[in-house]
Amino acid sequence: MPTTLDFAALAETVRRVTVEVAGDGAALGSGVLWPRGHVVTNAHVVRRARVAVRSVDGDVLEARLLARDRDADLALLCVDGGDLPTATLADSAIVRVGSLVVAVGHPLGVRGALSAGIVHAIGPIVRGGAPWIHADVRLAPGNSGGPLADASGAVVGINAMVVGGLALAIPIARVIDFVRTARLAAP
Amino acid sequence: MDGLLALSNDLAAAVEHAGRAVVGVNGRRRLGSTGLHWRAGLIVTADHTVEVDEDVTVTAPDGRTLAATVAGRDPAIDLAVLRVDAGELPVAEIATEPARVGHIVLALGRGPRASWGVVSALGDGQRRGAEAGELMSLDLTLYPGFSGGPLVDTRGRVVGVTTSGAARHFQVAIPAAIVNRVLDELARRGRIPRAYLGVGTQSVRLSDALRQRLGTDQRAAVIIVDVQPDSPASAAGLLIGDVIVSLGGARIGDPGDLRAALRPQQVGETLTVSIVRGGEPRDVRLTVGERSRRA
Repeated sequence: MPTTLDFAALAETVRRVTVEVAGDGAALGSGVLWPRGHVVTNAHVVRRARVAVRSVDGDVLEARLLARDRDADLALLCVDGGDLPTATLADSAIVRVGSLVVAVGHPLGVRGALSAGIVHAIGPIVRGGAPWIHADVRLAPGNSGGPLADASGAVVGINAMVVGGLALAIPIARVIDFVRTARLAAP
Repeated sequence: MDGLLALSNDLAAAVEHAGRAVVGVNGRRRLGSTGLHWRAGLIVTADHTVEVDEDVTVTAPDGRTLAATVAGRDPAIDLAVLRVDAGELPVAEIATEPARVGHIVLALGRGPRASWGVVSALGDGQRRGAEAGELMSLDLTLYPGFSGGPLVDTRGRVVGVTTSGAARHFQVAIPAAIVNRVLDELARRGRIPRAYLGVGTQSVRLSDALRQRLGTDQRAAVIIVDVQPDSPASAAGLLIGDVIVSLGGARIGDPGDLRAALRPQQVGETLTVSIVRGGEPRDVRLTVGERSRRA
């Protein structure tokens, strides 16, 4: 971990663990490199059993769909081969309203684009629903499935949608639960 | 300490610090707005979000609902003050220094929710008169329900009140110093007086010759089309056809400027009005009156 960090260094840290999830040559969305050769993305990004994953260095790797949960809007992919870095996962308790966050993704086809902002609120979208991270960060189609990271570069959530100009991210705790369950079901 | 992490922690701490005094304001049928416990028992919010004078409530950060009464309004800058029995509700920390262009600021909404950005300019882009010209333009997003909420610095000190009501195309904030002066008037007089001149006006273009004569680059002024009897304007000898160029040193380019230039604390004060009468510039002294409370 560098001792001083600016947005450029932070962007680089997060970019290294962000992949483009592609199929048919067109970018579908983004994904986060998880430990054990896995990639986490949104369920709405992956609709087929096999997709191509493109790393920041431009390496294109084949990925298999291991699990997909449409309600949670999460999917787990397994990447064949490659020596890929993995994301640092944040302790979900450290995200507070006002905390700086950055998103990396491929909005509208722009590769590795950085958006910066703060946590706007943490709460459900519908009354009584599960909490989401609402971020004052500008996202666009192509950011889906990419990381929302804190000021140290640790992933605090998976960007899933834009509502009323706000980025909505699935909190890391829910993502970790999903991955754990998915790994048990699909060894 | 890591620079960005330190900033991140400061911003989150600022939200927490200021958020203790942020309340929800329930003063209109649709979406509620935001207010701030500015001084003991006084909630400051945006005037356009308090559509009723009775049955207004505020929602404290702990979820309690408090009954509120409208203590006064300053529609010229879109400010309303509510009186509540605040109990334990903390009072906000108000910054003593004004925010400057480029400062990182946070806008807070009930919840609290937050957005961030910078002060992009002083002035609201419309060159409004006097204090209204000191509104801050912001480069940040005011989300639905944020109106009337505080604008805070990175230490959680309140530097202004955000409103999207006064200027449709800009995100603006009323600086804390202006809010303080309104609250001072409320404390001094027990109400927020509304300044009154007693003229009806329309915008007019200033000809090049006249601009040269006046030594100004001001392109427009207002022409008096009506003078109400027994009004401050008639007492000062203003006549239909007089062109008002400035009031108390503030440029007047349209009737909106005139409304914005008249602040509550000027009621009873004598100001200089620069006019053009029959092609001749002249200064008139005028004592600002108070609009009757029913008007």
